[in-house]
Amino acid sequence: MKKTGFLYDERYLLHDTGPNHPEKPERLKAIYRGIEDAGLLSKLTLFQADPADMKWIETIHSKEYIDRFETSCRSGITVFDYPDNQMCAKTFETAVLAVGGVIKAAQKVISGDLDNVFCAVRPPGHHAEHGSAMGFCYFNNVAIAARYLQIECHINRIAIVDIDVHHGNGTQHAFEEDPEIFYYSIHQHPTFAFPGTGRAFESGNGPGTGATRNYPVLPGYGDNEYHGLIQRDLLPVLEHFSPEIILVSTGFDAHVDDDMSDITLSTQGYSRLMERIVALAELYAGGKVISVLEGGYCLERLPELAANHVKILLNQ
Amino acid sequence: MFISKVMTKNVVTIDKDADISTAQEKLSKHGIRHLPVVNENDLLIGIVTDRDIRSALPSSQSTDKDSIAKIASSKVEEIMTRSPISISPLDTIQDALLLLQKNRFGALPVVDDQGKLIGIISTRDLLREFIEVLGLNDPGTLLCLLVEDKIGQMKKIVDAVSEEKISFGSILVSRYWEEGKRAVFPYLLTQNIGPLKTKLKNMGCSLLDPMDWYRDSHPK
Repeated sequence: MKKTGFLYDERYLLHDTGPNHPEKPERLKAIYRGIEDAGLLSKLTLFQADPADMKWIETIHSKEYIDRFETSCRSGITVFDYPDNQMCAKTFETAVLAVGGVIKAAQKVISGDLDNVFCAVRPPGHHAEHGSAMGFCYFNNVAIAARYLQIECHINRIAIVDIDVHHGNGTQHAFEEDPEIFYYSIHQHPTFAFPGTGRAFESGNGPGTGATRNYPVLPGYGDNEYHGLIQRDLLPVLEHFSPEIILVSTGFDAHVDDDMSDITLSTQGYSRLMERIVALAELYAGGKVISVLEGGYCLERLPELAANHVKILLNQ
Repeated sequence: MFISKVMTKNVVTIDKDADISTAQEKLSKHGIRHLPVVNENDLLIGIVTDRDIRSALPSSQSTDKDSIAKIASSKVEEIMTRSPISISPLDTIQDALLLLQKNRFGALPVVDDQGKLIGIISTRDLLREFIEVLGLNDPGTLLCLLVEDKIGQMKKIVDAVSEEKISFGSILVSRYWEEGKRAVFPYLLTQNIGPLKTKLKNMGCSLLDPMDWYRDSHPK
């Protein structure tokens, strides 16, 4: 059994998106309940977050944006940058804690305290851009953790595998020119799904050319398509890149019962996907995986999806 | 939408007495394919394209150095199209689209009512504008709906979208989808599309599975 960490912090529930918003605190409660009910809590190393040092957030986001976010939040504004981004007075602090939690997870994996971690954070991060919030995301948790690993821990080859059903535009844009951070995203085709980026021809710029890879999946497709592309595409690509650590932007919203997309992954399909990623990490990255929650909105499915996800990390 | 809004205003031009090699250098330096030819008063007198130059020069395999040098030093005037078809800043993007398609041109010089060159509009400008009109630079989600071909359907869709407090990036309507039906494609500036989809279904709107359309377009 692996030494698997579970980042869960009740303060992540304080980011209040108002009534009828899909990115709600109940998502995290459902995830926690699923892991608890599966009898997995005692096998995991639970830890809470510390607020992130702002210098790490500034490696991805502009100072102007961070200040604007903090000021807007404290002034009581409830919609930020786009109508999708509903927030409350606690959102800024919660977002700083989400980043801090993922950085703490990175420290624990690099020090060898843990083999891998599942970070159940809110708000999510992969749509957040250098200078704007987008798609329920404020700070790009995964991108900031990748920069932390690169700068502070001198990790030279970091792979980010984004399995959220939406393209992680913010993460891609952060590393488009960086050959050391490989961004691989599988998502619903951008002609049909938010945010409209992540086309197959977007493959990095300048020195980062080739270190971004997008695999759009057409609406209606699911398990077979995902399984095929992992074998055909993700596996050889990661073998070639040979990462020292894999960060996973984990979105559970490609599930057939999640109404946020038209992708039809089953619960078993999700497990198979994660099993392959963990197996790849075992082969190339000494088993080091940091999985960070992005989307996933079906409260009925989140418990089983999270429990299975953690079981796979535990190698149970 | 008027040409004056979409055209490129800083036009790279050439003199009729310039030699062909200078024209070729200008095209490649600026990454363009059309050079309007103007006189000393900025009046449009011709246009020369990369294709005109390629046709004038001998093939790259040619070894006859004298002949290459001679052609390269001949004048733009000798190969340019005189009195080219142009467009006015008060014409519209629709005019430009139809005119470019009809004549199979890649660009049209824009001249004022005195005949002075004030801009150029190319297929690149129109593509940029088309991307803008579709809203592709804004984050959003495309819905594919099939409704009855009768008055009032669009209102229902717009009302449903507005009730969910969602903004429109663009909306396209296809009248040629299926007998008695219209396909409507609202591009909506939100990620939160689930509740709206449910609402539209309950209203009797069918959501098109884009893959049906893909499969129908391929032989079985």
